[in-house]
Amino acid sequence: MTKDQTRGSKPVIMPHSYDGIQEYDQSLPNWWLFTLFGSIVFAFLYWLANFVTGTLPDDRVAINTEIDALEARQLAAIKDLDEPTLWKMSRNSKTVAEGQAVYNSLCFTCHGPTLAGIKGLGFRLNDDLWVHGNTPTAIFNNVSEGITFEGKPTGMAAQKVLGTGRIAAVTAFLLSKQKEGAMKVIPRKDEPSQLTP
Amino acid sequence: MKPTPIRESVTTIGHDGTRRFLQPALIFGSWWRARRAVAWLLIAFFAALPWIEIDGFPAVFLDVEHRHFHLLGTMMGLGDIWLLFFVITGWGFLIYATTALLGRIWCGWACPQTVYLEHVFRVVDRLFEGDHVSRAKLDDQPWSAPNKMLRRGARAFAYLVLCWAVAHIFLAYFISIPGLYPMITDAPLAHPAAFVAMAIATGLLFFNFWWFREQLCLIVCPYGRLQSALIDDDSVIVGYDEKRGEPHGKAAPGIPTGDCVDCRRCVQVCPTGIDIRHGLQMECIACTACVDACDDVMTKLKRPTGLVRYASLRELNGGKTRFLRPRTVLYAALLVIGLIVASIAVLRVQPAAFKLSRPPQTELYALSEASVANVFRAKIQNKDEIPRRFFISAESPATKVTVLNQSVGMVIAPLTEITLPLTLLVDRQDYRGEFNFMLRLRSEDGEISLLQKAHFIGPDPRTLKQ
Ligand code: SF4
Ligand code: SF4
Repeated sequence: MTKDQTRGSKPVIMPHSYDGIQEYDQSLPNWWLFTLFGSIVFAFLYWLANFVTGTLPDDRVAINTEIDALEARQLAAIKDLDEPTLWKMSRNSKTVAEGQAVYNSLCFTCHGPTLAGIKGLGFRLNDDLWVHGNTPTAIFNNVSEGITFEGKPTGMAAQKVLGTGRIAAVTAFLLSKQKEGAMKVIPRKDEPSQLTP
Repeated sequence: MKPTPIRESVTTIGHDGTRRFLQPALIFGSWWRARRAVAWLLIAFFAALPWIEIDGFPAVFLDVEHRHFHLLGTMMGLGDIWLLFFVITGWGFLIYATTALLGRIWCGWACPQTVYLEHVFRVVDRLFEGDHVSRAKLDDQPWSAPNKMLRRGARAFAYLVLCWAVAHIFLAYFISIPGLYPMITDAPLAHPAAFVAMAIATGLLFFNFWWFREQLCLIVCPYGRLQSALIDDDSVIVGYDEKRGEPHGKAAPGIPTGDCVDCRRCVQVCPTGIDIRHGLQMECIACTACVDACDDVMTKLKRPTGLVRYASLRELNGGKTRFLRPRTVLYAALLVIGLIVASIAVLRVQPAAFKLSRPPQTELYALSEASVANVFRAKIQNKDEIPRRFFISAESPATKVTVLNQSVGMVIAPLTEITLPLTLLVDRQDYRGEFNFMLRLRSEDGEISLLQKAHFIGPDPRTLKQ
């Protein structure tokens, strides 16, 4: 288009006409063209950086790295959770209170608000009789991974829901009602859970 | 050289696409004074809202971080977000209704773009660079000219400070004044996200008011485009009385002339760079500057004012504006219906929310010797400013459902949400297969009562009969 049309005069009309409608030959504002071409250039650079050169981190890789780091941290945390540590946590009032809060938000549904258990739903937890292992780590693992009974999973595998920290706290809360060395293993049929709301 | 506005192209965009800057003259007329008063009221209102406290919270506080929205003393949670429907449709409706009646009254009087540009930033322009003549001269001077750098720089600095202030007030709507204060006093790096947001907001505002200006109204603003399409022959617009004014020009013996003396005062003052005498144009934001300008000239010439005035196209063509027309009647009726429905909806918002779901990674049901059990996860939100004790009970006419652990209920602190597992038991004797029932959330004081549908899952009842 010609650049030096005199100001104030009518702009050039394009020769074509569709349905009797004609159009002026006007330039678009430069700033508008800048946004148009700018976004095209950006799209190209973005595509280059993301899919060709891989300069920008791939979302999937970034998320996987993050998950790996999390898992590593959890594994490290679990590694430190041996029997003495869990016992020690169970004598720390802050950890126990934290564990009780977790218990009251989730576990009490099946084990009852007083830990007395609900018959057919969840075992009694406030006595010294244990069906699936009588050690702190056994309790921790049962909370974390759930329990398999007659080939069927029962109990809640809470690892994904609670995470290591809160599972350790809940374990500490349960252990706070126990005496070291006094936990007994009993067969499932002798479990004294009651239906006590 | 000043371009002459013509209808066929945009004054502020050159034929080669370059931007042309306008330096409109100031006209200190009665409309301008009224508009300035409204503008200052609006600015004061905008700046004051975050400071006004109602029931211990800012009058408007959109707490995105905690997903609480405080509006004039009521709190809404994310669950009430559907009420936005009324805000959005109501807003759209207002555009239709006011534009049908009064044209682009919003643009000229209330739009932040106009309010801040005309009554804040152009004031700064005049302060640092003088009137439109000296500003235009300064525009044309090279940067080496004496004082140009200094005056432009001082103006830019004033702009930056103002944009920074506006951005802060805006942010206060989302984090409240008590939340904002430490962010201002702490080092910028202590709140990097807020700092970056603030820097971007300030930068955008600066760009808009310094450079972009009327281009926003012309090309970007959807409201401007919508309104241009919504005006009809009876909408009141800023218009030029062609019948009275034409043929324009200096009075000379033998040549019949209208009242327009072609002094071009209306063109000089127009912030969008158009000539109102060409009729209604899409650039016009109905700012009334040309009305004031022309009235001023007419008064000096001792002719009646109103050659350029608020009038409908019909009136300018010699007819009479019809305010009562099918369109406006329909709008009024819709307005009444909308207001009624919206009030009912708002009045029914309860100061609590109750949602049910199934906890992940648990079995659908459990069997004990005596009963079938289902576990639900209840989300309860107390949206009120006082703590409340809540109870959940089952309403199931056909099958008796017991909700465990609900004898003492639960106390929920103000403005908090808890997630609570619910164990529901049905006696084996009563169990006749899966069924639907209702769970009711009640507050102890009886203020709140919310129902949720639920479905009880269980085995085929025949398998229980042994
Ligand atoms: S066109 Fe848009 S931005 Fe301009 S004054 Fe009207 S509403 Fe405001
Ligand atoms: S034509 Fe008049 S009312 Fe419209 S924008 Fe220009 S000065 Fe304002």
